Amino acid sequence: MFVAGIDIGSTITKIVISNGTEILASMATPTSAEHRRLAFRVMDDALASCFLSYNEIEYIVATGYGRINVPFADQQVTEITCHMRGINFLFPNVRTIIDIGGQDSKGIKVKDGKQVDFIMNDKCAAGTGRFFEQIADVLGVKLEDIGEMSLRSKNPASISSLCTVFAEQEALLRLSEGASIEDILAGIHKANASRIHSMIGKLKIEQDVAITGGGAKNLGLVRALEQRIGFPLVVPPEPLITGALGAALIARETATKLTPQQLKEKKAKRRLEAVTFFDDPKRGSEIVL
Amino acid sequence: MGYTAGLDIGSAYSKAVVFEDGELVSYYVKPTSGNFSLAADLVLEEALQKVGLSLAKLRYIGACGLGVTFISETFNKITELSCHTRGVHYLMPSVRTVIEIGNQSARVMKTTPKGKVADSLVSDKCATGSGRIMQIISKVLRTDLEQFGKLSEKATKPAKFTTNCAVFLETEAISRVAEGTPREDIIAGLNQTLAGKIGSMVHRMRIEADCVMTGGVALNAGLVAMMEKEIGLKIQVPEQPMITGAIGAALITAEKAEN
Repeated sequence: MFVAGIDIGSTITKIVISNGTEILASMATPTSAEHRRLAFRVMDDALASCFLSYNEIEYIVATGYGRINVPFADQQVTEITCHMRGINFLFPNVRTIIDIGGQDSKGIKVKDGKQVDFIMNDKCAAGTGRFFEQIADVLGVKLEDIGEMSLRSKNPASISSLCTVFAEQEALLRLSEGASIEDILAGIHKANASRIHSMIGKLKIEQDVAITGGGAKNLGLVRALEQRIGFPLVVPPEPLITGALGAALIARETATKLTPQQLKEKKAKRRLEAVTFFDDPKRGSEIVL
Repeated sequence: MGYTAGLDIGSAYSKAVVFEDGELVSYYVKPTSGNFSLAADLVLEEALQKVGLSLAKLRYIGACGLGVTFISETFNKITELSCHTRGVHYLMPSVRTVIEIGNQSARVMKTTPKGKVADSLVSDKCATGSGRIMQIISKVLRTDLEQFGKLSEKATKPAKFTTNCAVFLETEAISRVAEGTPREDIIAGLNQTLAGKIGSMVHRMRIEADCVMTGGVALNAGLVAMMEKEIGLKIQVPEQPMITGAIGAALITAEKAEN
């Protein structure tokens, strides 16, 4: 049985196609302004890479910030549930999940494969991927490189501000004082680790602790968090797709409970035409500024 | 008494004033542009030049602000809170509450009848409570900050913002622009967000009339109007609301030196 999970995040869109036991295709691509068109494109690409068609996919679960904008999805599930399921499948011993997304960060507590508690910050860019994007931009370095660079620091710069905008200015001030980019980045990672830790600390942190999302690909952040929390973190081999993987697992579980007739009816209801917000003729195309 | 200068070297703007025997005779304001020592030199020079004075004529210099340590002349350092309260008191003696919104902070100060600080509250942890967010949005809208006040008065339907974070507000503003929301409405929506944020800070103090707003943000009349609604008091704004810190620095320094 083929199933799919698609996770439209604020910054990156992820997809997993599975045959029920293993992953056949997985992809991660930047989220653009137009979610619906993007959902089709990502799905088309993933299907093509494993030689399948929409009709062969028994059940599709959409998750993430843009989950309502997947017209062909059979069901929508929150990203918290999906991340939990994905991690639980990969690492059954994990009790605490730290998810660092593009525009939010979350803490999830897991017990017996169920979510028992969670906490989230989507009010402030500090402690989210967005913070690191802005800092990389202001320092003129690549986002992918900042983690490794921060680990080369011998003398982390002091960054006291938790506000992204102010930390940006503080970073520039440290630069003008002669601090190296590595030292500034180490300070930035330390400040964010403390911010994330103080949020996650509101849950009772229990081992094993896993980290997912784009933040998990930043080794500097992982190390800074480990130092702060006091024990090692579990990092999935591909930390971006745990949400999409969880969605695919839920899709399989749901599909096995439905009769062939019910599945057929579900499939018939899928909207496969890419009518989009920007194509809507009722919407004025005039941009004032 | 002679001439005294006051300097306020802020993170965004540098201000200088010149006093002659207790009377304000000249002032100058210019962007700091990231170079504190250069801005401090230039702004003082300009303020002196306006009244045909040279540095040698100055008896005292008082200063405050983030970049105060970069001033090359000998000066007397005074805390910002005292400077702002004293400066507002000089311009408007009946003041009892000062709301000062600078580039990186928001401050509420209660004043004694003599212009001293009675109580204060400072927020400098988050860019949304400060003038910084205005600059960020002015870039998004490609509109000068000076026009914000006038434009926001023309708003018919203030845009709704769902966040208080400056970074996310920038993103939301870009989305509103893309959707075709007029910039008047975006500015009015931003003013509402900012008034709510600063208002919640003001509510933590028991404030009294007369209330004065200072700092560059006070030039945004739309925001001042929304703040009045938020706190339920009439708010006065000095003709040049950015120089109160420099005025206070000059006055306090002169007083200290004479006594």
